Amino acid sequence: MSRIGLLVPSSNTTVEVEFYRALPPGVTLHTARLYLTQITPEAILGMVRDMEAQARLLASADVDVIVLGATAPSFLKGLGYDRELIGRLEAASGKRATTTSTALIEAIRHFGARRVALGSAYDEKVNAIARSFIEASGVTVLDAQGLGYVDNLKVGRLAADTAYELARKVDRPDADAIVLACTNWRTMDVLDRIERDTGKPVVSTTQASVWAALRMIGAPDVTGYGRLLREVAAAGRQVQTA
Amino acid sequence: MYGWRGRIGLLVPSINTTMETEFWRIAPEGVSVHTARISGGRHGTPEELRSMENASKAAARDVAMVEPDVVAYGCTSGSFFEGPEWNARICEQLTEITRAPTVTTAGAMAACLLAGGHRKVDVVTPYVELTNERLKQFLRAHGIEVSRLGTFDMLDMFDHAKIQSEEIYQKVKETSGADTEAVFVACTQLRALEVIDLLERDLGKPVYSAVQATAWQAYAEMGVDPRITDCGSLLRKLSEPGALRPRAKRLRRSA
Repeated sequence: MSRIGLLVPSSNTTVEVEFYRALPPGVTLHTARLYLTQITPEAILGMVRDMEAQARLLASADVDVIVLGATAPSFLKGLGYDRELIGRLEAASGKRATTTSTALIEAIRHFGARRVALGSAYDEKVNAIARSFIEASGVTVLDAQGLGYVDNLKVGRLAADTAYELARKVDRPDADAIVLACTNWRTMDVLDRIERDTGKPVVSTTQASVWAALRMIGAPDVTGYGRLLREVAAAGRQVQTA
Repeated sequence: MYGWRGRIGLLVPSINTTMETEFWRIAPEGVSVHTARISGGRHGTPEELRSMENASKAAARDVAMVEPDVVAYGCTSGSFFEGPEWNARICEQLTEITRAPTVTTAGAMAACLLAGGHRKVDVVTPYVELTNERLKQFLRAHGIEVSRLGTFDMLDMFDHAKIQSEEIYQKVKETSGADTEAVFVACTQLRALEVIDLLERDLGKPVYSAVQATAWQAYAEMGVDPRITDCGSLLRKLSEPGALRPRAKRLRRSA
């Protein structure tokens, strides 16, 4: 039995559901919420303080790993900020930790993708930050388009088809992979379909978060949510030997 | 969106590892569970249990943002410890913060026993003596007498989840007497859900658990028939004709 601790922005209605459904037998999910009303520098700072306290609550449930399941807060200050957050989470909780942004970059690397197409639920501003976060890791973003949402609850109401449609729209012939960002945006149900119809791997922030957590605890592969989750065990072995 | 039939805002003590898992397991299509953790210790001392009243407000604030259809305060001792008025106050406070109806485990315990017409029951708990006495007082205030009480007598609330379902089955069986109408298994950290059906069959009387009773009241509040057929007679009652009041507000604001 393994336990995954998930830190969720308070207004997120999607990531708990998609995470829970993708877990293999014997792995349970335990959530704590981070009060976050908007994506501003002040709000993010408040969230980070809250994050350490909530990570301690998850540690009291003796989770094996803690995932900060929020994309924008973990990349807002650029590449390296996610590592800083991991350090804070681990120091506060005494548990191993990762963030959605960290997982996203690791998943892109896992596929060896050098050029990606990015689709997100964000507005232009946050989408540009997502783009530069990915590019700072040495990956070219060929195209980046967002659906333009700032209200998190509205993102939670979007159908998964919007993720499929945007993935097809941003895809370029020379893209090695397609990236879909925002954990409150439903993506998990269309990942297999996107991969089948484009012939290339797709990485969504929710899927990458599940993948990162599962490989940290040495879990088996999961089917139905894209190639990435079918490659948990092999990636997990790399983590164990690293 | 997820939770299009109903979204449950679930507040659990931070150390609890059982209730989220059991709530997810029984949730049907269209119902989602959104959890926030109540800060507190793991020893269930009177001070810790009392402090949960205040700590639950922060958790309610966090879960309010998913616009839940019902809020479930998932801790038995944390809702019965200071009596029925305290429990009612917790409900009022959480409803004020979340603008959703609130159910508590202690409230659901009393409600399911009263709905079954039980006036004399046996109870199984993991609690120490003081907490067991408070539980009896809470039920007595609702006109329900505890005949026999079987306990695992453990102070550490985290460790309550380590009690195996098989041990719960045995404890319920040895606690249940011929003169009582039902058995209630208290504590949302006890993994009782998976043995309820078996116990009801083998004892020939209703057996309820903390998680099950909380779910029952939460689904009733949402007006959602979850069609849960393998977790005891109480949850099956939600599927009987006329069991659920039609609720106009189910025409969702977010639809």
